[in-house]
Amino acid sequence: MADYREAPLATRPKTLDPDEYFNLSPDLRRAEEERAAIRANLKRQYQLQLNNPHRKELIEDPALTRWVYARTNPYPHFRATPKTSLLGMLFGVVPLIVLYYTFKTDRDNREEQIKAGTLDRKFKLSY
Amino acid sequence: MAGVVGFQRWVRALTRARVAGMPALLSASRAASGPSKGMLPGPYPNTPEERAAAAKKYNMRVEDYEPHPDNGEGFGDYPKLPDRSQHERDPWYSWDHPDLRRNWGEPMHWNFDMFIRNRVDTSPTVVPWHTACKHLFGFIGFMLFMFYVGEQFPAYQAVGPKQYPYNNLYLERGGDPDKQPEEVKNYEI
Repeated sequence: MADYREAPLATRPKTLDPDEYFNLSPDLRRAEEERAAIRANLKRQYQLQLNNPHRKELIEDPALTRWVYARTNPYPHFRATPKTSLLGMLFGVVPLIVLYYTFKTDRDNREEQIKAGTLDRKFKLSY
Repeated sequence: MAGVVGFQRWVRALTRARVAGMPALLSASRAASGPSKGMLPGPYPNTPEERAAAAKKYNMRVEDYEPHPDNGEGFGDYPKLPDRSQHERDPWYSWDHPDLRRNWGEPMHWNFDMFIRNRVDTSPTVVPWHTACKHLFGFIGFMLFMFYVGEQFPAYQAVGPKQYPYNNLYLERGGDPDKQPEEVKNYEI
Protein backbone atom coordinates (compact mmCIF):
# COMPACT_ATOMS: atom_id res chain seq x y z
CA MET A 1 0.00 0.00 0.00
CA ALA A 2 2.97 2.32 -0.19
CA ASP A 3 1.81 3.49 -3.60
CA TYR A 4 -1.75 4.23 -2.47
CA ARG A 5 -3.13 7.18 -4.34
CA GLU A 6 -6.41 8.57 -3.07
CA ALA A 7 -9.32 9.44 -5.33
CA PRO A 8 -9.53 13.10 -6.31
CA LEU A 9 -11.54 15.05 -3.69
CA ALA A 10 -11.35 12.15 -1.24
CA THR A 11 -9.00 12.04 1.72
CA ARG A 12 -6.04 9.85 2.54
CA PRO A 13 -6.53 7.20 5.25
CA LYS A 14 -5.24 8.47 8.56
CA THR A 15 -2.85 5.56 8.94
CA LEU A 16 -1.10 6.54 5.68
CA ASP A 17 -0.94 10.24 6.50
CA PRO A 18 2.67 11.26 7.40
CA ASP A 19 1.42 14.18 9.52
CA GLU A 20 0.09 11.70 12.07
CA TYR A 21 3.57 10.40 12.79
CA PHE A 22 6.08 13.15 12.06
CA ASN A 23 4.75 16.67 12.63
CA LEU A 24 3.94 16.50 16.33
CA SER A 25 5.46 19.74 17.59
CA PRO A 26 4.42 21.26 20.94
CA ASP A 27 2.60 24.01 19.02
CA LEU A 28 0.43 21.42 17.34
CA ARG A 29 -0.32 19.74 20.64
CA ARG A 30 -1.22 23.09 22.19
CA ALA A 31 -3.52 23.83 19.27
CA GLU A 32 -5.22 20.47 19.70
CA GLU A 33 -5.63 21.12 23.42
CA GLU A 34 -7.22 24.50 22.77
CA ARG A 35 -9.62 22.93 20.34
CA ALA A 36 -10.39 20.23 22.89
CA ALA A 37 -11.07 22.91 25.51
CA ILE A 38 -13.57 24.68 23.25
CA ARG A 39 -15.19 21.37 22.37
CA ALA A 40 -15.43 20.32 26.01
CA ASN A 41 -17.01 23.65 26.93
CA LEU A 42 -19.66 23.28 24.26
CA LYS A 43 -20.33 19.70 25.36
CA ARG A 44 -20.78 20.91 28.93
CA GLN A 45 -23.28 23.56 27.90
CA TYR A 46 -25.23 21.04 25.88
CA GLN A 47 -25.31 18.47 28.66
CA LEU A 48 -26.43 21.06 31.21
CA GLN A 49 -29.33 22.02 29.01
CA LEU A 50 -30.13 18.44 28.07
CA ASN A 51 -30.28 17.15 31.63
CA ASN A 52 -32.01 20.17 33.12
CA PRO A 53 -35.22 18.77 34.68
CA HIS A 54 -36.99 22.13 34.42
CA ARG A 55 -36.44 22.45 30.69
CA LYS A 56 -39.65 22.29 28.68
CA GLU A 57 -38.50 23.62 25.33
CA LEU A 58 -36.18 22.46 22.53
CA ILE A 59 -32.46 23.10 22.89
CA GLU A 60 -31.63 25.77 20.35
CA ASP A 61 -28.33 25.38 18.50
CA PRO A 62 -26.81 28.78 17.63
CA ALA A 63 -24.42 27.20 15.12
CA LEU A 64 -27.40 25.79 13.24
CA THR A 65 -29.19 29.16 13.39
CA ARG A 66 -26.10 30.86 12.01
CA TRP A 67 -25.76 28.29 9.23
CA VAL A 68 -29.36 28.65 8.17
CA TYR A 69 -29.13 32.44 8.33
CA ALA A 70 -25.91 32.45 6.27
CA ARG A 71 -27.34 30.14 3.62
CA THR A 72 -30.60 32.03 3.24
CA ASN A 73 -29.18 35.57 3.32
CA PRO A 74 -26.28 35.75 0.83
CA TYR A 75 -27.63 38.85 -0.91
CA PRO A 76 -26.31 41.51 1.51
CA HIS A 77 -22.80 40.23 0.76
CA PHE A 78 -23.30 39.77 -2.98
CA ARG A 79 -21.32 41.98 -5.36
CA ALA A 80 -21.45 41.99 -9.15
CA THR A 81 -17.91 40.90 -10.05
CA PRO A 82 -16.95 39.53 -13.49
CA LYS A 83 -17.04 35.99 -12.12
CA THR A 84 -20.45 36.26 -10.47
CA SER A 85 -21.89 38.04 -13.51
CA LEU A 86 -20.56 35.31 -15.77
CA LEU A 87 -22.00 32.59 -13.56
CA GLY A 88 -25.34 34.39 -13.43
CA MET A 89 -25.45 34.63 -17.21
CA LEU A 90 -24.39 31.01 -17.64
CA PHE A 91 -27.00 29.56 -15.32
CA GLY A 92 -29.83 32.01 -15.72
CA VAL A 93 -29.86 33.50 -19.20
CA VAL A 94 -28.05 31.10 -21.52
CA PRO A 95 -30.26 28.04 -20.83
CA LEU A 96 -33.38 30.06 -21.58
CA ILE A 97 -32.08 31.24 -24.94
CA VAL A 98 -30.55 27.93 -25.96
CA LEU A 99 -33.60 25.91 -25.01
CA TYR A 100 -35.93 28.37 -26.74
CA TYR A 101 -34.05 28.10 -30.03
CA THR A 102 -33.61 24.33 -29.77
CA PHE A 103 -37.27 23.66 -29.15
CA LYS A 104 -38.45 26.21 -31.70
CA THR A 105 -36.33 24.80 -34.55
CA ASP A 106 -37.21 21.22 -33.67
CA ARG A 107 -40.92 21.97 -33.55
CA ASP A 108 -40.80 23.99 -36.79
CA ASN A 109 -39.08 21.12 -38.59
CA ARG A 110 -41.65 18.69 -37.28
CA GLU A 111 -44.46 20.94 -38.46
CA GLU A 112 -42.90 21.15 -41.93
CA GLN A 113 -42.57 17.39 -42.11
CA ILE A 114 -46.16 16.91 -41.03
CA LYS A 115 -47.36 19.34 -43.70
CA ALA A 116 -45.22 17.61 -46.33
CA GLY A 117 -46.38 14.21 -45.12
CA THR A 118 -42.84 12.87 -44.58
CA LEU A 119 -43.00 12.53 -40.78
CA ASP A 120 -42.09 9.00 -39.66
CA ARG A 121 -44.01 8.32 -36.46
CA LYS A 122 -42.45 5.02 -35.53
CA PHE A 123 -43.94 4.65 -32.08
CA LYS A 124 -47.38 6.01 -32.73
CA LEU A 125 -49.88 4.62 -30.23
CA SER A 126 -53.03 6.56 -31.11
CA TYR A 127 -54.47 7.38 -34.49
CA MET B 1 -10.97 42.69 22.02
CA ALA B 2 -8.94 42.27 25.16
CA GLY B 3 -11.59 39.91 26.53
CA VAL B 4 -10.95 37.40 23.76
CA VAL B 5 -7.16 37.49 24.22
CA GLY B 6 -7.57 37.20 27.98
CA PHE B 7 -9.86 34.22 27.58
CA GLN B 8 -7.37 32.49 25.31
CA ARG B 9 -4.46 33.13 27.66
CA TRP B 10 -6.56 31.81 30.54
CA VAL B 11 -7.51 28.66 28.63
CA ARG B 12 -3.89 28.12 27.67
CA ALA B 13 -2.79 28.56 31.29
CA LEU B 14 -5.42 26.11 32.47
CA THR B 15 -4.54 23.45 29.93
CA ARG B 16 -0.82 23.85 30.61
CA ALA B 17 -1.43 23.56 34.37
CA ARG B 18 -3.17 20.23 33.71
CA VAL B 19 -6.06 20.96 36.06
CA ALA B 20 -8.43 18.06 35.66
CA GLY B 21 -12.20 18.01 35.84
CA MET B 22 -14.70 20.83 36.14
CA PRO B 23 -12.43 23.74 37.19
CA ALA B 24 -10.54 23.50 33.91
CA LEU B 25 -13.71 23.79 31.90
CA LEU B 26 -15.28 26.83 33.58
CA SER B 27 -14.72 29.54 31.06
CA ALA B 28 -16.25 32.75 29.93
CA SER B 29 -17.93 31.77 26.66
CA ARG B 30 -21.58 30.82 26.90
CA ALA B 31 -24.34 30.28 24.39
CA ALA B 32 -26.78 33.13 23.86
CA SER B 33 -30.42 32.42 24.64
CA GLY B 34 -31.46 33.74 21.25
CA PRO B 35 -29.26 35.11 18.50
CA SER B 36 -28.52 38.77 18.98
CA LYS B 37 -27.21 40.79 16.05
CA GLY B 38 -23.62 40.03 17.07
CA MET B 39 -24.21 36.29 16.98
CA LEU B 40 -25.49 36.09 13.44
CA PRO B 41 -23.20 35.94 10.39
CA GLY B 42 -22.01 39.33 9.23
CA PRO B 43 -19.89 40.91 6.52
CA TYR B 44 -16.36 39.86 5.64
CA PRO B 45 -13.91 40.65 8.48
CA ASN B 46 -11.20 43.08 7.45
CA THR B 47 -9.34 43.94 10.65
CA PRO B 48 -7.71 41.44 13.03
CA GLU B 49 -10.16 42.46 15.77
CA GLU B 50 -13.07 41.62 13.51
CA ARG B 51 -11.48 38.28 12.70
CA ALA B 52 -11.02 37.48 16.40
CA ALA B 53 -14.61 38.44 17.15
CA ALA B 54 -15.85 36.31 14.27
CA ALA B 55 -13.76 33.33 15.45
CA LYS B 56 -15.22 33.66 18.93
CA LYS B 57 -18.70 33.93 17.48
CA TYR B 58 -18.30 30.70 15.53
CA ASN B 59 -16.68 28.85 18.47
CA MET B 60 -13.38 28.43 16.65
CA ARG B 61 -9.79 29.30 17.46
CA VAL B 62 -8.52 32.50 15.87
CA GLU B 63 -5.80 30.54 14.06
CA ASP B 64 -8.32 28.02 12.73
CA TYR B 65 -10.80 30.64 11.55
CA GLU B 66 -10.52 31.31 7.81
CA PRO B 67 -13.37 33.14 6.07
CA HIS B 68 -14.30 32.40 2.48
CA PRO B 69 -12.43 34.66 0.06
CA ASP B 70 -14.17 37.98 -0.37
CA ASN B 71 -15.21 37.78 -4.03
CA GLY B 72 -18.81 38.87 -3.75
CA GLU B 73 -20.32 35.40 -3.87
CA GLY B 74 -22.41 35.97 -0.75
CA PHE B 75 -20.45 34.16 1.99
CA GLY B 76 -19.78 37.12 4.28
CA ASP B 77 -17.71 36.08 7.29
CA TYR B 78 -18.83 32.45 7.34
CA PRO B 79 -15.80 30.21 7.98
CA LYS B 80 -14.33 28.05 5.25
CA LEU B 81 -14.10 24.57 6.78
CA PRO B 82 -12.32 21.65 5.08
CA ASP B 83 -14.46 19.76 2.57
CA ARG B 84 -14.81 16.61 4.65
CA SER B 85 -17.92 14.49 4.66
CA GLN B 86 -19.56 13.28 7.88
CA HIS B 87 -18.65 9.74 6.80
CA GLU B 88 -15.08 10.43 7.85
CA ARG B 89 -15.86 11.25 11.47
CA ASP B 90 -15.26 8.71 14.19
CA PRO B 91 -18.31 6.44 14.45
CA TRP B 92 -17.41 5.40 18.00
CA TYR B 93 -17.08 8.85 19.60
CA SER B 94 -20.12 9.97 21.60
CA TRP B 95 -21.43 12.75 19.39
CA ASP B 96 -24.30 14.88 20.66
CA HIS B 97 -26.14 14.09 17.40
CA PRO B 98 -24.90 10.60 16.46
CA ASP B 99 -26.66 10.33 13.11
CA LEU B 100 -25.14 13.60 11.95
CA ARG B 101 -21.84 12.90 13.75
CA ARG B 102 -21.80 16.44 15.04
CA ASN B 103 -21.59 18.13 18.42
CA TRP B 104 -23.84 20.92 19.59
CA GLY B 105 -22.44 24.33 18.76
CA GLU B 106 -19.87 23.05 16.31
CA PRO B 107 -19.49 25.28 13.22
CA MET B 108 -21.25 23.70 10.25
CA HIS B 109 -19.76 23.47 6.80
CA TRP B 110 -21.42 25.70 4.19
CA ASN B 111 -22.44 22.54 2.31
CA PHE B 112 -23.29 20.56 5.44
CA ASP B 113 -26.48 19.16 3.92
CA MET B 114 -24.41 17.74 1.06
CA PHE B 115 -21.92 16.05 3.40
CA ILE B 116 -24.41 14.13 5.57
CA ARG B 117 -24.12 10.38 5.67
CA ASN B 118 -26.81 9.76 3.08
CA ARG B 119 -25.05 11.85 0.46
CA VAL B 120 -21.56 12.79 -0.69
CA ASP B 121 -18.79 10.69 0.84
CA THR B 122 -15.20 11.93 0.83
CA SER B 123 -13.75 9.13 2.95
CA PRO B 124 -10.70 7.25 1.62
CA THR B 125 -11.47 4.70 -1.08
CA VAL B 126 -10.81 1.05 -0.30
CA VAL B 127 -8.79 0.55 -3.47
CA PRO B 128 -6.16 3.04 -4.69
CA TRP B 129 -7.29 5.32 -7.46
CA HIS B 130 -5.13 4.03 -10.29
CA THR B 131 -5.97 0.41 -9.48
CA ALA B 132 -9.68 1.19 -9.53
CA CYS B 133 -9.34 3.01 -12.88
CA LYS B 134 -7.33 0.16 -14.38
CA HIS B 135 -9.84 -2.46 -13.28
CA LEU B 136 -12.87 -0.58 -14.53
CA PHE B 137 -11.57 0.60 -17.88
CA GLY B 138 -9.76 -2.69 -18.43
CA PHE B 139 -12.95 -4.64 -18.01
CA ILE B 140 -14.99 -2.29 -20.19
CA GLY B 141 -12.31 -2.21 -22.87
CA PHE B 142 -12.01 -5.99 -22.89
CA MET B 143 -15.76 -6.49 -23.21
CA LEU B 144 -16.01 -3.95 -26.02
CA PHE B 145 -13.14 -5.63 -27.86
CA MET B 146 -14.70 -9.09 -27.51
CA PHE B 147 -18.09 -7.84 -28.74
CA TYR B 148 -16.39 -6.29 -31.75
CA VAL B 149 -14.60 -9.57 -32.52
CA GLY B 150 -17.94 -11.38 -32.18
CA GLU B 151 -19.49 -9.06 -34.74
CA GLN B 152 -16.68 -9.71 -37.19
CA PHE B 153 -16.74 -13.53 -36.80
CA PRO B 154 -20.36 -14.54 -36.21
CA ALA B 155 -20.91 -18.14 -35.07
CA TYR B 156 -24.29 -19.83 -35.51
CA GLN B 157 -25.77 -23.16 -36.67
CA ALA B 158 -25.53 -23.63 -40.44
CA VAL B 159 -28.96 -23.34 -42.06
CA GLY B 160 -30.16 -23.77 -45.59
CA PRO B 161 -33.42 -22.71 -47.23
CA LYS B 162 -36.48 -24.66 -46.08
CA GLN B 163 -37.45 -27.62 -48.29
CA TYR B 164 -41.08 -28.56 -48.89
CA PRO B 165 -42.49 -31.94 -50.04
CA TYR B 166 -44.92 -32.70 -52.95
CA ASN B 167 -42.77 -31.01 -55.53
CA ASN B 168 -42.34 -27.87 -53.47
CA LEU B 169 -46.08 -27.87 -52.60
CA TYR B 170 -47.10 -27.62 -56.26
CA LEU B 171 -50.85 -28.05 -55.66
CA GLU B 172 -50.99 -25.88 -52.52
CA ARG B 173 -49.29 -23.08 -54.36
CA GLY B 174 -52.04 -23.00 -56.95
CA GLY B 175 -50.58 -25.31 -59.54
CA ASP B 176 -52.80 -26.83 -62.21
CA PRO B 177 -54.02 -30.27 -60.95
CA ASP B 178 -54.24 -31.72 -64.50
CA LYS B 179 -50.77 -30.76 -65.55
CA GLN B 180 -47.96 -32.97 -64.45
CA PRO B 181 -45.52 -30.87 -62.37
CA GLU B 182 -41.83 -31.17 -62.93
CA GLU B 183 -40.08 -33.47 -60.52
CA VAL B 184 -38.32 -31.60 -57.67
CA LYS B 185 -35.70 -33.58 -55.79
CA ASN B 186 -34.72 -31.99 -52.52
CA TYR B 187 -32.33 -34.75 -51.53
CA GLU B 188 -29.14 -36.34 -52.70
CA ILE B 189 -28.20 -39.95 -52.17
